[in-house]
Amino acid sequence: MLLAASFSTGAQSALKEQLKASRFKIAYECYVDGNWEIFVMDADGSRSLNLTGTPNIHEHYPQVSPDGSKICYSVDEGEGREAVRSLHVMDIDGRNRQKLTEHAREPFWRPDSKVIGFLPQEFPKFNVIDYSTKGMSFYDLSTGRIEPHPNSTNLQHLYNPSFAPNGKWIVSTVHAGMGFSHAILAIEAEGSRIVDLKIPGCRPCLSPDGKQIAWGSGDHELVAAAIDLDSDLPAVGKWRLRIQDKTNETYHVDWSPDSRLLSFSRGPASKGDPTKAGTFQSACEIVGVYAAGWNLYAVSADREGIVDLNHCPDTDFLTLTTNGLSNKESAWFLPGRSVGSGQ
Amino acid sequence: MQKLFWCVLLAAALLISCGKSAPDSQGGIQSGNKADRSSSGMGAPVDVLTASGIEMVFLTGGEFLMGSATGNSDEIPTHKVRISAFLMDKFEVTHEMFAKAQLPNPSHWQDNPKKPVERIRWRDAKQYCNERSLLEKLKPCYNEKTPDFDCDFNANGYRLPTEAEWEYACRAGVDAPYDFGQADKLRLFAWFADNASERTHVVGEKKVNRWGIFDLYGNVSEWCEDVYSPTYYQQSAAVDPAGPLNPGKDVKRVMRGGSWKASADMCRATLRQGERTGDSDACFFTDYCGFRCVRRATPEELRQLMTNRK
Repeated sequence: MLLAASFSTGAQSALKEQLKASRFKIAYECYVDGNWEIFVMDADGSRSLNLTGTPNIHEHYPQVSPDGSKICYSVDEGEGREAVRSLHVMDIDGRNRQKLTEHAREPFWRPDSKVIGFLPQEFPKFNVIDYSTKGMSFYDLSTGRIEPHPNSTNLQHLYNPSFAPNGKWIVSTVHAGMGFSHAILAIEAEGSRIVDLKIPGCRPCLSPDGKQIAWGSGDHELVAAAIDLDSDLPAVGKWRLRIQDKTNETYHVDWSPDSRLLSFSRGPASKGDPTKAGTFQSACEIVGVYAAGWNLYAVSADREGIVDLNHCPDTDFLTLTTNGLSNKESAWFLPGRSVGSGQ
Repeated sequence: MQKLFWCVLLAAALLISCGKSAPDSQGGIQSGNKADRSSSGMGAPVDVLTASGIEMVFLTGGEFLMGSATGNSDEIPTHKVRISAFLMDKFEVTHEMFAKAQLPNPSHWQDNPKKPVERIRWRDAKQYCNERSLLEKLKPCYNEKTPDFDCDFNANGYRLPTEAEWEYACRAGVDAPYDFGQADKLRLFAWFADNASERTHVVGEKKVNRWGIFDLYGNVSEWCEDVYSPTYYQQSAAVDPAGPLNPGKDVKRVMRGGSWKASADMCRATLRQGERTGDSDACFFTDYCGFRCVRRATPEELRQLMTNRK
């Protein structure tokens, strides 16, 4: 027993040391003191900092630019169906906050860090469900102009899009739209081709080296697999890593900048908490829904096989947050500039 | 006195509607499939048109024997239930109706706007009810700030039917598994597993029930307001029962009526289903879950609705 404990601690330290030595940081959303805020922490979970620090503004869904210099995010104002979700951008240290557009959600960065893609809201009236989107648009940070995707009129009910590092494809989930019941798609970034990746689940995320995809195959499993994004017909390879939790839900997987680590959110299923200001009721993994007991975790993506979070040695993953205050939507980055004290 | 009022009002309404074909408010759905509204034992149901152009049927209310002595164990005991007058949608809620509420449609089969919505979570259905109430300047029944969207049955807005209301409407005054007779006629009245080709169909294509309501036996199953309890009939209220109290986590809600994937037996008027609400699922894949709305109207509101019908 002592040996096991000793081994466990040693290995846990190894993963932690790897993260600590990485210089990587992780942005994430957390609900504290009746308010959504965006935090930044070191990749080992230490030195957590409330970057937004705005008790009266609900900020969430941080997405860090590939060059590590900026964060775009969403802000909710108002209640119920009258709520307005808008998109904003700020420097990586929390300064120079700028509103980009309203009635939009789920921003994502073009690989050159100069353009932010987003999904316009489906109807004027708000609905928190993630696929309540119609079309796709791009905000050019240098000109302030918004341009629609060339196939925007045919895009509907997409959610959680992200760019391939080669800029050629955008991967996204679709639910009950575009003729799909539910699918994970590769959408041509500058054309009209749409490829069904034929993998179950949702929320795909591409590794920064462009060689792997991670996604949630269901509520209780995250998967990593090879993907060929240089092809004209992207295809997902063998599922080589499966992170499972049969008790809790696992969501929001994200790759570290070196494509060797994964972070994710994990916690019990719930449908929100109507007593929490600035939140909505729906499945708790959805942006704007309070997820009681949810924390962030990291695993090595170098490994293969199954990581059963309830039965594996605690050496196999690292707990990054512990307060359970709806910690979700982690986003790794290598800072382009030092992180300051926020505003 | 109130009963007398309903009778007078209905007599006037029947005179008004006599000989007229139903308006095509569903954008082409023909209601010309006449219901046999005789021998119901109650005041005859009346078709009305709501302020937003949705066809409903006014049911005067009455007493009926709920449940079945020959069905499943949760259908016993049979018991007398009195139902107050209410209006029920003539058709299941369709894609085009759902879009008017500006709600994202999760349905699998959206190839025709007149097909019923499905993959609807219980709270989505209730949110639709509230939005439709607001569109027609009615008081919403559901408090969306509570975890289960608590229902104010005294509000005049739209809501899901109780399972007693649903069964009352489906049985249409007939004490039998199907109001139209034997199961061999079910093909004429319902899209179900034997004839639906594993998909939903445009509402109103099959024969209407005796009280003028379509697709109760099939197409999509329909959410009700009640918590599902297999033993509820043992202690059910006798007047307007609304189901047992919510026992807490993992509660199932009642779903009534057959669907495109149901067997003939599952389409029986008295068959009860308990279904998880899907409210904690971002994507709810139960593609036979639809609904229709009911509401209670004051005599003055009903008079206005019947004026709309002119």
